[in-house]
Amino acid sequence: MKATSHPPPAGRQLLLEFRPVQLFLSAAAVLLPLAYLLLVLLYGALFLSRHPTAERWAQPVLLATLGLHGAYLVALGFRWHQFPAATVPQALSVVALAVALVYALVERIGRERSTGVWLMALVFLFQLLASTLQRPDVPSLHHFRSALFATHVGLALMGYSAFVVAGGYGFLFLRLYRELKLGRFRLFYGRLPALEVLDGLMSGALWVGFLALTGATAAGLTFAYQTHGLRFLADANVVFTLATWLIYGVTLTLRRSGRWQGRQTAVACLAGLAAIVVSLITFNFIFQSFHGA
Amino acid sequence: MTRRETDAAHRQTPPLILVGTDFHRAGLELRGRLAYGHDEVPEALVHLLAREEVAEACLLSTCNRTEVYALPRDEEGAYQAVVEAIFHPRVPDIDRRGRLYVHWHEAAALHLFAVSSGLESMVLGEPEILGQVKQAAAIADDVGASGTVLRRLLASAVTAGRRARQETDVATGAVSFGYCVVELARNIFSHLEDCRILLIGAGEMAEQVARNLRERGARALSVANRGSERAEAFRLRFDDVTVLPLDAVPAAIAETDLVVSSIGGEEPVLEVADVRRAMARRTGRPLLAVDLGVPRNIDPKVRSLENVFLHDIDSMEALIARNLERRREEVPRVEKIIEQELGRFHGWHQSLGAEPLVADLQRRAEIIRKGEVEAALERFPPETHRHLEQLTRSLVRKLLHHPSTRLRREQQPVAHLELVRELFQLDPRDDEDQR
Repeated sequence: MKATSHPPPAGRQLLLEFRPVQLFLSAAAVLLPLAYLLLVLLYGALFLSRHPTAERWAQPVLLATLGLHGAYLVALGFRWHQFPAATVPQALSVVALAVALVYALVERIGRERSTGVWLMALVFLFQLLASTLQRPDVPSLHHFRSALFATHVGLALMGYSAFVVAGGYGFLFLRLYRELKLGRFRLFYGRLPALEVLDGLMSGALWVGFLALTGATAAGLTFAYQTHGLRFLADANVVFTLATWLIYGVTLTLRRSGRWQGRQTAVACLAGLAAIVVSLITFNFIFQSFHGA
Repeated sequence: MTRRETDAAHRQTPPLILVGTDFHRAGLELRGRLAYGHDEVPEALVHLLAREEVAEACLLSTCNRTEVYALPRDEEGAYQAVVEAIFHPRVPDIDRRGRLYVHWHEAAALHLFAVSSGLESMVLGEPEILGQVKQAAAIADDVGASGTVLRRLLASAVTAGRRARQETDVATGAVSFGYCVVELARNIFSHLEDCRILLIGAGEMAEQVARNLRERGARALSVANRGSERAEAFRLRFDDVTVLPLDAVPAAIAETDLVVSSIGGEEPVLEVADVRRAMARRTGRPLLAVDLGVPRNIDPKVRSLENVFLHDIDSMEALIARNLERRREEVPRVEKIIEQELGRFHGWHQSLGAEPLVADLQRRAEIIRKGEVEAALERFPPETHRHLEQLTRSLVRKLLHHPSTRLRREQQPVAHLELVRELFQLDPRDDEDQR
């Protein structure tokens, strides 16, 4: 993938000099992790005890943070004149927002707030990485002009966001399963939705993630073949992505056949999430890959 | 004396007496003799109010307590009146045996709020007492035994009890075997009403579990027992119950989500092989098995099977202990709610004292305004008189708005109220002179 850092055209020069946008981006990059940390604390207080302050403030703070995050990504796109996923930190921020949005939907539809602290902890982690690792120069990816490439990136981000959600619910499923199985009623028992509900949320997210990753892989392979020929098959990241897709595919197949149940699915979700995070770090910061920006 | 009690001592309280007994002071037999049925309470209250020492009264009688909250006309005689009208007819020597407690004023109000919040219950936070306080208040209201103050006090106590249950976890978590089964099922299955339930044994424990499950929406209920007579009797007590022979249990497990066993016998009713076979026929749906039998009815090896959750009496007791501990941890938060609601009640009660003062203040201001306007009218053209009237009224209203609101809202000590009277010369005789 060709990534070039180039001087902005004359029209964009004006935008670069538009200091309020730059100032907003700098401020939001600091404020967003703090806002998500505040949400972790508020939802944590709700999880442990129905604290009246947390009851009152959790949802308004969540909505305000989602608004700020949305504005941040719009400003980022406005600033660099392209979809804000040209670098790993930008992509992490998009995933963080997508996960937060999914949680907001679950909370609104299911009136369920006990899982908030765990998903917000993941979102906080992703946004903290995004804010910490951001770079002053962002490559201009002319590939974004290709519909195939845009589809690849969009679906991949959607898929990874869904896998993060599945991993989060998988973790909660395993904790509650363990407490119920051993009869050791501690932190999670009585505070989370029923195992069946967690299982449903996990498998729903898994299906969305798998379908999105399938689409992203198909679009990405087609695009890579058109631009790089068969050379892309030697790229470690491509190989790893295909392996991830296969693992999730096998998990869903075993689940559908009844051979795997909630616990095994949850373990697979967590393993998949860990693999994704490790691959992101390995292929984008340690090894050079044609995926790396 | 706790901080709550110390704060309370500084507040002005309505004259209130509580005379009562509860499970701490009286055994089951004595409590049974003292308990008044709903239909007996009105007559008892009428008898009590026939005594001139008592102005208002409410009788709270449950299986765990019998308490009378009364506003006395004569504090000395009120205790005797309550004991003679309510307690002596049931247990003539109760006061001599030291089974009664008496609280006055603030302590009585605090006790009522603690009772309605479940802090004084035998099982901390139990929910029924709130309904019983509501019912006692309604009966007192119906027979005209409660006036403005007592009615308000009871309503505040109900509010405190409701808030305690809504805003804290003092009433959450099962503390009985029957409800523990429901709670465990709710932690596993998304909808209790869709669960297929099998009860092995048709005794008292099975009945308790069945009642709890049905109250929370469970529908599909089957019962298996050694003797069909008992199972049939069980079926008659609960609608829509399927009766199965005991040897059909292993086969029925495949179609069951929750199995509760409480049957006698030395040999397990369910072996691990039975459950393994059943789980192979299920499509990933978990199985909750609760073994309340002694000795065990279900082979403990069942616990090792994937997606099977086996619980026995020990784990149920651990669950109850954990829930009670969580309830106990909530007590300080409940006490805070009680303090807030008691404070609100006091604010309201104080405003009753401030009301005549505010009225005097407004009357005095109006007299001054009228006098001044009348003296000035001839110096202004007639077409402006209406505006002058409006202007002065508005001025007085605005000047008095803040002090009136403060006097009504805040808990003002009597000395403050006296000071306001003195500052504004609000001696009623002066008003008469002015008029």
